[in-house]
Amino acid sequence: MLDALVDLMDAAGGRCAYADARWVDRSHEALTVVDGAIESVDIVDEEGVGVRVRVDGAWGFAATQTLSREGLQEALARALALAEAEPRRPAPTPLAPVAPARGSWRSPCAIDPFGVALEEKLALLLAADEAMAGDPRLGRRGAFCVAERAVKAFASTEGAACEQSVVECGGGLVAVAVADDDLQLRSYPSGHGGDVAQAGWEHVVGLDLPAHGAEVADEAVALLTAPPCPEGTMIVVIDSEQVALQLHESIGHALELDRMLGYEAAYAGTSFVRPEDLGALRYGSDALNVTADAVLPGALGTYGWDDEGVAGQRTPLVVEGRLVGALSSRETAGAVGLEASSGAMRADGFARQPLVRMPNVSLEPGDGGTLADLVAGVDDGLYLQTNRSWSIDDRRLQFQFTTQLAREIKGGELGGLRRNALYAGHTPRFWSGLDAVGSASAQQVHSFTKCGKGEPGQFAHVSHATAPARFRDVDVRAR
Amino acid sequence: MTRDALLDAARRAVRAAGGEALARAVSERSVTARLARSRPTQATDLQRARVEILCVRDGHTGLAIASRTGDDALAAAARRAHDAALAAAHAGPGDYPGLPEPAPARGHDGFDVATAALDPGQTGGALAAALEVAEARGVELAGTWTAGAVTEAIASSRGLEAVDAVTDAQFKAVAQAADGLRGYAARTAVAAGAIDAAAVAAEAADKATPPPGAPAAPVDPLDGAGTAELPVVLGPDAVADLLQMLGVLAFDGRAWAEGRSALSERLGERVAAPNISLSDSVRFPGTLPRAFDPEGTPKGPVPLIQDGVAHRVVHDVRSAARAGGGATSTGHAISPGGAVQGPIPRNLVLAGGGAADEAELMAPVERGLYVTRLWYVNPVRSKETLLTGVTREGTFLIEDGRLAAPARDVRFTDSVLRLLSTTQALSRRPRLVGTTDFYGPRFAYGVVCPALRADGFRLTGVASPGV
Repeated sequence: MLDALVDLMDAAGGRCAYADARWVDRSHEALTVVDGAIESVDIVDEEGVGVRVRVDGAWGFAATQTLSREGLQEALARALALAEAEPRRPAPTPLAPVAPARGSWRSPCAIDPFGVALEEKLALLLAADEAMAGDPRLGRRGAFCVAERAVKAFASTEGAACEQSVVECGGGLVAVAVADDDLQLRSYPSGHGGDVAQAGWEHVVGLDLPAHGAEVADEAVALLTAPPCPEGTMIVVIDSEQVALQLHESIGHALELDRMLGYEAAYAGTSFVRPEDLGALRYGSDALNVTADAVLPGALGTYGWDDEGVAGQRTPLVVEGRLVGALSSRETAGAVGLEASSGAMRADGFARQPLVRMPNVSLEPGDGGTLADLVAGVDDGLYLQTNRSWSIDDRRLQFQFTTQLAREIKGGELGGLRRNALYAGHTPRFWSGLDAVGSASAQQVHSFTKCGKGEPGQFAHVSHATAPARFRDVDVRAR
Repeated sequence: MTRDALLDAARRAVRAAGGEALARAVSERSVTARLARSRPTQATDLQRARVEILCVRDGHTGLAIASRTGDDALAAAARRAHDAALAAAHAGPGDYPGLPEPAPARGHDGFDVATAALDPGQTGGALAAALEVAEARGVELAGTWTAGAVTEAIASSRGLEAVDAVTDAQFKAVAQAADGLRGYAARTAVAAGAIDAAAVAAEAADKATPPPGAPAAPVDPLDGAGTAELPVVLGPDAVADLLQMLGVLAFDGRAWAEGRSALSERLGERVAAPNISLSDSVRFPGTLPRAFDPEGTPKGPVPLIQDGVAHRVVHDVRSAARAGGGATSTGHAISPGGAVQGPIPRNLVLAGGGAADEAELMAPVERGLYVTRLWYVNPVRSKETLLTGVTREGTFLIEDGRLAAPARDVRFTDSVLRLLSTTQALSRRPRLVGTTDFYGPRFAYGVVCPALRADGFRLTGVASPGV
């Protein structure tokens, strides 16, 4: 297919300022067991080409499933017609330069998940579900696994011609306990679609879902009768998964340069961070060090090249609390005078135009040691674990999150279970309270597969490497 | 693809699957063009099709989706669906009760030929008209124009054969004034020709303008307090945001049957003020109609809350079986075989009230809040329909019965059912608020609702400081 894309780009070269084309062949499998019964076995295959053109400074994009030469030419013509119909096309700003992407890249995969028998996968899920069963207060229990394979080719009028192949695999558990007006849930290993990695079936086996079923169910039921979370301004220790979500929402999205430039004002929103803040803004305490890392092995935001042919790379975003970088595309980097794109342009399948999407945005480990070490430094506070709900304003400034579980910390030790914990804050103020970050040994990689943005809407898959962290002066309420 | 070609693909898929099977062939054509900072930023033209094949074996379902419609591709997908259902059946009998018997679906007026033509010139013209208004008003414009045509054909081994076609269009605008104030407006319709992009841009510009005599700097409606309860007038976009979430938390028949719904064991109880009547009405004037759901069940009206009393929930085939008691699918499946998350009402209609307009709703308010739209609304305690979110692009302080000043955006943490219980008045004419962000295949839906006034809107913080 790459040859066909290269031919198409040869044809596009004289008709617009820039063009690129992506072929994506994607297979997705989702298996779900609910309350002891196999609920769904869904398999999706889709293949197509997206063609993007730039006429003056305006973009046009067309997607097609007709992969013949004529079909691709017709998609190119539609993209050109759409771009040319746009009113008030701006003068073209320079795209940040990039060496043409060449070669191929493949994610690691030991056991092809599509080669594992459905019966074997379902047996594992049924065993995990069975491990959760027993308490009549469970309103629902579920076990699930997913697998995805995406093979891509990319060519541009600047001579790029590369191929990539990615396999993702993961799974998880959730238990929902119900009593009167209350509903509590626990999940493993995360609150957002399980844990998914660029890996094969070996990743799901490694999660050992059946071994965690009983604990998940027991905690969900125990939360129904746990005392409410204490309220006030306090020290909190946050587990690495909730830190990942905090990082994702209040740093990752805030530093997408298209948002900073106002390009997403009509939907996802803008950012409290302005382009002129680069190099100047105090984002948090000295303990805050954040890196965009598109080469983190096994993580979902890892790639050989982004979807406009810029190589995956590491980009420091925040160093000792100070903002030093942003997530950019070639266009947005060019718009603010950066020398190069950070390689953060990605699309959800063949039928979507690439957007600035965060690669793996990670909190660099500190010297806080283990979770127990972080807790040991707290005389009176709260431990928060596993995200339950999240909301943040359209400038990524004011947030309110709840967690599935909380535990009191007294005298440096974890205490009893507390339910309905909610905390809120303003982004720079909250990160200024970052007191300590766990050490590298406490760091884990957490995945999100439903990061939404763009119109038509796009989901991005991304991971975050984080360790548990301790924050001072956090506004905590019982929800 | 034509209707005939789609129906042919669905028939071939059912034949390829053998046994109990359903196939749904869907084609989409759409155009989406985006603006920001008063210039075009992205434009997307999509042509795609897919065939969903559901196999049922021993009470288990297997679903495979193919993006090609040739015999080989359909045979491969049918084999995957069959194998999936069979693999599930190895664990013992399942609880899927079987495909629905064919039933005739009524037609509707949800397809517009001119919209389906998807002329790039119409897209460019709409954006140009909006930009002209923005320039005249001295505001910077962001926005999205989108129009699409979706045709689906469905066939099953039970003899069901049906075809439906719909169109939809939307323009939304976010205007930003020089002082930083932002305003929002949007309209959705079956026909692109029914949307006046210039008028939408003008309405957004109005919302980005301080009321006469008011300072441009937004005031803090909480007066520095951490929390507050204020009378509120919610515009239709804000009401729709809350009702969409209520649809998931309260009317999902699967969650209801499993005790997870806000209405579990509460049907027949008063859950809202007597002036609240909410239904799922797929052919209500101004909505985005459809003939049947993805399981082929004809869609009809379902009263959900009548005069404040919880009345019914919605079902797909699986949730109806789970609920028992003679429940049947109400035509609210969101995928063949039902989705894990359950059925959802997609054509909510909140009946209008007696107030002539929003100004009349505001008239009795001594001090309160006007909210144009909400953002990032998520459940906090789902069984109580307790939600949190923030206001966005058009929040004003009401004083002495009228808009007094732009207000800083605020966070709310409040229960939808509580707000509906304290709803004092609604405006007369509901309008369609479309949800058209289209993650995945295009499926346009929306809420038809009026503006309303409620007491004691619970605010839990100021969102973005400044504007």
